[in-house]
Amino acid sequence: MRCGDPLRLGFVPLVDSVALVAAHELGFFEREGLKVALSREVSWATVRDKMAVGALDGAHMLAPLALASTLGVGSDPIPMVAPLALNLNGPAITLSSRLGPALRRGPGADGLAGVMARRRAEGASVLTFAVVYPYSVHAYLLRGWMAQAGIEPDRDLRLMVASPLRMAELLEDGIIEGFCAGEPWNSAAEASGAGRIVAWASQLRDRTPDKVFGVTEAWAAARPDDLSKLVRALQAAAAWLAAPGRVADAARLLSQPAYLGADTALIEPGLADLVAHHGAANAPRSADGAWLASEMIRWGQAPPDTDAAALASRVYRPDLYEAALAA
Amino acid sequence: MRVLVIDPDPARAALVAEGLAGGEPSEVRHAPKFDEAEARRFGPDVVVVAADSPDRDTLESLREASQTNPRPVVMFVDRSEPGLAEEAIRAGVAAYVVDGLAAGRVRGILEVAMSRFQLMHQLRQDLAKAKADLASRRTVERAKALLMKERGLDEEAAYRLLRKLSMDTGRNIGAVAADLLAFAGVLKGDGA
Repeated sequence: MRCGDPLRLGFVPLVDSVALVAAHELGFFEREGLKVALSREVSWATVRDKMAVGALDGAHMLAPLALASTLGVGSDPIPMVAPLALNLNGPAITLSSRLGPALRRGPGADGLAGVMARRRAEGASVLTFAVVYPYSVHAYLLRGWMAQAGIEPDRDLRLMVASPLRMAELLEDGIIEGFCAGEPWNSAAEASGAGRIVAWASQLRDRTPDKVFGVTEAWAAARPDDLSKLVRALQAAAAWLAAPGRVADAARLLSQPAYLGADTALIEPGLADLVAHHGAANAPRSADGAWLASEMIRWGQAPPDTDAAALASRVYRPDLYEAALAA
Repeated sequence: MRVLVIDPDPARAALVAEGLAGGEPSEVRHAPKFDEAEARRFGPDVVVVAADSPDRDTLESLREASQTNPRPVVMFVDRSEPGLAEEAIRAGVAAYVVDGLAAGRVRGILEVAMSRFQLMHQLRQDLAKAKADLASRRTVERAKALLMKERGLDEEAAYRLLRKLSMDTGRNIGAVAADLLAFAGVLKGDGA
């Protein structure tokens, strides 16, 4: 890359991309002397591939995507590092309105388990659910939520992958009966009448790790100064968002067609649920990475002998985060 | 060979079909989005997907599922072809090869898709530039008229002044003209 070219950062249209959007729109990148161009991406596979070939310098990414890429699961190995966590909590599980009675039993999946058992007894086909990417906390939340009610995800249902932007229409078309995705796509499905949010990540687990800001390990080694500046700018944007009364402002920024292109009324609930700064949320904790890696092993995505702690400390880099903020 | 092109943009898919028409006999079908049941009925050998289609993640996951389910194996076009995957990603296309087809045969398809995607991109950029040039010319005309009226200059002198401002500030003449018009508005009390 030539000096003076903007840094290209990818994001997927989701509420939790807010730090990148705010840093860009409100001048936090500029304040660090960075020129940044944001690139809207609609699939995680494209984010991963563009990072691998250097068409993106950094991106808003699913934390397990960074782990899977580093491990070489689902693609050639592309080691990634996460010098900053973008959010905890945020994802939600939405079930089709057609499942009516199964919805009315609190945040557990017992009602759903009942429906599935009945269908099995009747010899009906298994229900289909969707998550946003095989390697995502969404997949692990949905699987864990079902497993707690005695459902075996790999036997009792069909689990597909779909873009969060497609979830509401898949629900409406009867292709899927439920999904786990980030906001505002749960709220959008609820607003259209196709589904109902039955559980938020915050109800299922304390401080669920979700998105990180990621760069390749090679980029981090080659561009330490730019990396520090990016971390500081994103940290500043997250702090801006955390001040009282900012949810409405941030929702207005995100609602623009270049970002989410959705109504502010759909964006605000998800923003409010997000832990995007408070409680040292931006510091990447390798314990979060280790939990996600252990889920990858639990569900057969990573070999059982994978060293979850070692993988997590290779990807999650609190040292880079602290060095950036100390500078 | 059966090729399924998944692209929200029908114009690009049409260009790909046209580009493949001369080569190996093939049936090209376009779909704005991936529908698994429809795709199974068509039975493509290769799926070419635009990087700006949200369906890439769905296609990729079929490979994961194939480890346990009896369905066609889908994979990213052989990464061992040096540079091909890189070029394709930069051009905005990816290809998924159904099991049993040599990756070498996909190369031609992907090359056509890449060149057509780039052509379309170039056309769009040219159009956007033409529009911007026209808008900039109009701005310059208005700034010139303003200078002629306010400073009593003739047209040639007004243009020379704009060009000097442009060179002094190192910005293009359209931007200088736009600033001039904006400041004139503020001085007259508009928008202040």
